[in-house]
Amino acid sequence: MAITRMRPRAADAVAAVRSYWIDVLLLVVLAALFAGTLALARRWEAPYRAATEIDLSPWALPRYTLLSLARGLVAYVLSFAFTLAYGTIAAYHRRAERIMIPLLDILQGIPVLGFLPGLVLGMVALFPRSNAGLELACVLMIFTGQVWNMTFSFYGSLRAIPDELREVAALHRFGWWKRFRTLEVPSSMIGLVWNSMMSMAGGWFFLTVTEAFTLGDRDFRLPGIGSYMSVAIDRGDTRAMGCAVVAMIVMIVAVDQVVWRPALAWAQKFKVEETSAGAAPRSWLLDLLRRSRLVPWLELELGRLLAAVGGGHAESPKSFVREPRVTRVLPWTAGLVAALALVAVVAWGSVHLVVLLGTLTASDWAALAAALGLTFLRTATAVALGALWAVPVGIWVGLSPARTRIVQPLVQIAAAFPAPMIFPLVTLAVLSAGIPFGWGCVLLMLLGSQWYVLFNVLAGATATPQDLREAADVYGLGRIARWRTLYLPAVFPQLVTGLVTAAGGAWNASIVAEYVRYRGRTLVAPGLGALITQASETANFPLLAAGVSTMAVALVALNRTVWRRLYHVADERYSLNR
Amino acid sequence: MAARSDGASDLAEARAVSKTFVRDEHQLAVLRDVSLTVRPSEVIAILGPSGCGKSTLLRILVGLIPPTTGEVLCHGAPLRGIHPGAAIVFQNFALYPWLTVAENVRVGLYRRALQRDEENARITRAIDLVGLEGFEEAYPKELSGGMKQRVGIARAIVGGPELLCMDEPFSALDVLTAESLRSEVYGLWSRGDLGLKSMLLITHLIEEAVFLGDRIVIMGTNPGSVRETIANPLPHPREYRDPAFLALVDEIHAVITQVHLPDERRRPELAARIEPFPNSEVAQVFGLLEVLHDQGGIANLFDLATRLQLEVGRVILVIKAAELFGFVDTPKQDVVLTTIGRELVAGDANARKRIVHARLMAIPTFCYLVDRLRRTETMRLAAEVVEEELAMHVPNEPTEALFETIVRWGRYGELLGYDPETREIYLDVESTVASTHEGAPT
Repeated sequence: MAITRMRPRAADAVAAVRSYWIDVLLLVVLAALFAGTLALARRWEAPYRAATEIDLSPWALPRYTLLSLARGLVAYVLSFAFTLAYGTIAAYHRRAERIMIPLLDILQGIPVLGFLPGLVLGMVALFPRSNAGLELACVLMIFTGQVWNMTFSFYGSLRAIPDELREVAALHRFGWWKRFRTLEVPSSMIGLVWNSMMSMAGGWFFLTVTEAFTLGDRDFRLPGIGSYMSVAIDRGDTRAMGCAVVAMIVMIVAVDQVVWRPALAWAQKFKVEETSAGAAPRSWLLDLLRRSRLVPWLELELGRLLAAVGGGHAESPKSFVREPRVTRVLPWTAGLVAALALVAVVAWGSVHLVVLLGTLTASDWAALAAALGLTFLRTATAVALGALWAVPVGIWVGLSPARTRIVQPLVQIAAAFPAPMIFPLVTLAVLSAGIPFGWGCVLLMLLGSQWYVLFNVLAGATATPQDLREAADVYGLGRIARWRTLYLPAVFPQLVTGLVTAAGGAWNASIVAEYVRYRGRTLVAPGLGALITQASETANFPLLAAGVSTMAVALVALNRTVWRRLYHVADERYSLNR
Repeated sequence: MAARSDGASDLAEARAVSKTFVRDEHQLAVLRDVSLTVRPSEVIAILGPSGCGKSTLLRILVGLIPPTTGEVLCHGAPLRGIHPGAAIVFQNFALYPWLTVAENVRVGLYRRALQRDEENARITRAIDLVGLEGFEEAYPKELSGGMKQRVGIARAIVGGPELLCMDEPFSALDVLTAESLRSEVYGLWSRGDLGLKSMLLITHLIEEAVFLGDRIVIMGTNPGSVRETIANPLPHPREYRDPAFLALVDEIHAVITQVHLPDERRRPELAARIEPFPNSEVAQVFGLLEVLHDQGGIANLFDLATRLQLEVGRVILVIKAAELFGFVDTPKQDVVLTTIGRELVAGDANARKRIVHARLMAIPTFCYLVDRLRRTETMRLAAEVVEEELAMHVPNEPTEALFETIVRWGRYGELLGYDPETREIYLDVESTVASTHEGAPT
C-alpha cells in the first residue's frame, strides 16, 4: 500500500534499533511487580482482622491504591482465565451452551451485593485465622463486576469464526495451541481488549462497597483506596475524598497507559477490515517495548514451549479417523461429572433460595414490587437523560477525526472512574440545590451510566461510511434532514448497545445511589437498590435474596423483551453491512 | 476570465489541481498538477489503475473535497461548496439502508425544494426510467447489486442534473449486469430530455472507457496525473467486438503499458540475471579493438594472440568480453570488428566511457546488479552479499575474480562504484539518475 511506503525511513530505523536499557527497565519493572505480589501475599497470611484502621493521611494513599490495584489485577487474571475456559466450552459444546449462556445472562444481572454475603461468610469460614478469606472474598467480588461481558465477548467471537477458517485448521491438523494462536486469538483479541477495559472499570465501580461493608452487626474493612474513600465519606473529610479521587484518576490513567493502550495498539494487527475513519490506536509503551531485545526472545521461547506442550500438530483430523474408545471415555466422564456438579450446585442453590423466600410475607412482596417500580422509573429516566445529551454530542464528536482523537480517551477515563466515589459530593450538591433525594439519585445513576451511551454512539459515528456522507453532501441535505436520514439511523445499532449497557449500569448503580451515607447521615430513596443495601446491612438474608432475585429477573426480562426487540430492529433496518 | 453565462460554457474545470493527504504525520501526494475540463455534451472517461487519484479528482470537481493547490471552476466561476448541477453514482451505491427505494430516490430531490405532488411525479418517473417500477417500497437489502445501482442512478437523475458523475459505477456488479447497465446509462444520456448535458465516468476498465467515453483521459500513479488524452471518434451504438473498437482498446492498452512499465519498452527481451563475465582488463579489450582496426577490422585468433603478446587462453577471454559488449563478432576462427566497435575505437575517452556505459546496461549481470541496488534503501550493497550471489548463480567461476572484473568494468562505465573502505558497491548515481527515475519499480 502506498501509505506504508511513504513512511519516513527514520521511523523504521527507530523500530529497528533495539537497545539494552529498555530491557534493564523492563527487568526493574518485573522485579517491582514481583515484590508487590509478595507484599500482597504477606498481607494474606496476616492474622484475621475484620476491620482495619484506615489512615486518612494522603501519604498512606499510594500504598492503599497499590493494594486495590493488586486486587483488581488478580481479579482480572481470574476473569481472563474464567473467560477462556467458560467461553471455549460454551462455544464448542452445543449441549453445554444451552445451559451456560442463559446462566451467564442471569449471573450478569445479579448485583455485587447479591454475591457479598455468601462470598464473605463462606471465605471467612474457609480461612478463619488468616486474612486470606476476606481478601479472597474482596477479589471475587471485584471478579463478579468484571467477568461477564468479557466472557460474552469471547464466546461471541469464537462463534463468529467462519467455518472455512476452522476447516483449514482441521485440514492442516493444528494442535490446540496452534489453533488458539492462529485462529482464536486473532478473531477475539480486539473485542477482548475493549471488553477488558470496560471490565476493569466495572470492577472498580463497587470498590467503596467491596472493600468496606457491613453485614449485620459486623463491620468488614480491608486496606485499599475504596475503604479509604468510604471512611473519608463517613467522617465527611472532604480533603481526603479529593485526594482519593485524584489517586483513583492517577491509577486509571496509569493502567490505561501501561496496560490498555499497548494492548489495544498491539491488537490492531488482528484488525480485518480497513476503515478509513479514525487513526489507529498507538502507544508509546508498545513502541518502546518493540525495541527491547528481551521481549522477542521471550516470545519465541514461550511460543516454542507452548507449541511443544500443545502439540504443533494434531495426530489426525478428527473427522477422518475414529478415536479409540479409551481416549473418549475420559473426557466424557469428566464432562459428565462437571455437568452433574453444576446441576447439583444450581439445584441446591434453588432449594435454598426457595426456602429463604418462603419466609417472606405478602407485605414484603408488595414492598418489593413497589420498590421495583420506583427503581425502574429512575433507571429509565437516567438512561433517557443520558441519551438526550450523549447522542448528539457523540455524533458531533465522532464525525470529526480531530475531535475524536481528543475526546475519545477522555471519555474512556471518565467511564472507567467509579462514579460511586463521588456520589456523596454530588448528593450534597443536589440537596443544597433543593432537589429531593428521590429525584437526585437519578442524577447519581446518570453519572454511572451516561458514558456508555456516549462511548458507543461516538464509536458508531466514526464508522459512518464515507460514501453515505458524500451522498448527503452532493444531494444537499440540510442539517435536520441530515440528522434524520443519516446520522441518527447510522448510529442506531451502537446506540442500542450503549443503552443496554447504560441501563445495566443504572440498575447496578441503584444499590449505591438510592442509599447514600455521608457523615453519619443516611439518605434513602425508596427503591429496589436501597432495599437490597438495607437488607445486606441488617443481614436480612431472605429479603436480600428476594431483592437480588427480583433485580436479576427484572434485568433478564428487560433483555428478553425490550432490548432484544431493539437489537432485532437495529439488525433488520439499520445495519450497515450491505 | 469573465464567466460565460450562455448554456454552452464548460460545466466544470480543474486547473493545475494537486491534492496531498496528511495521515499519521505522513504526506501522501495523490494528485499532482492535474487539469481537466468537462465541456457541454460530452462523455469523459477517466481511466487509470487503482490509487491514481481518479476518484479524488471527481470529488474535487464536484466540490466534495477542496484541492490542496489549484483552482476549480464551475461555469467559469470559482466553485464554492458543492457543484449545483452535479450528481454522483457511487461505486458501492451509497444507498441509505433504512430508507425504501422511493425514499432513497427522494434524497436526490432535496435541494430542488419542490411541491410534494411534483416530487412524487418525478420520483415515479425516475424509478420507471431505470426499470424498477413495483419496487418503490422495497428496502435496498432486498435488491440485487444491479437493482441497487439502478436506485443509485434514479437518485442521481431525478433532480435533473446537468453533470452526471459516475465513480466506478459498475465495478461492484457482475459482468453481464454491468454490460447491460452501461448501455442503459448511455440510453438515458442520449434521450436528451433529462436535462443531462455531460457525463464523467471513472473507471479502470479500458472497454468501459471506450464504450462510453468520447474523450478518454489516461491517468498514471505516484502521484496521480494525466498522462494522455485520447479522443474516441467511434459512432454509437458501440460494439465490443467491432474491429475498430478492439483497435482502440489495443491502442489504449499500449499507451497504458508505456505509462506504467517504461522499462519493459526499453529493453524488452532482457532478463536481469547473473551470468559468467569473462575475466578481462579494460585496456586489453581496447587493445584488441585497436589491433583489429589496424588489421582492417578482421583478424585470426592466433594472429591476434601474437600481436597482443598474450597467450591464447587469455586472448580468448578478452575476445569473449569484447563480444559480450557487442564490439566484435566471431564467425568461425575470425574476429570481426562491429559498427559499435569501430565507433569506440574512433571515439575519445569520454565517448568510450559513454559507449561502455550504454553497453553495460544491456548485459544481464549488470542489469541484475543495478536492479538489485535500486531496490535497496541506500543504493549500496556489501561486497560479501554480491559475492555470495555470484557464487550462487555462477558456481564454476572464481567468485573474487568475477567480482573484480565486474567492479572494474562498472567503474569504467561509470555505472557502479566501489568503496574499498566499507567494501560496498553502489550505483554511480550521477550517471544513472535519469534512468532511475523512469525505471523505479512501481
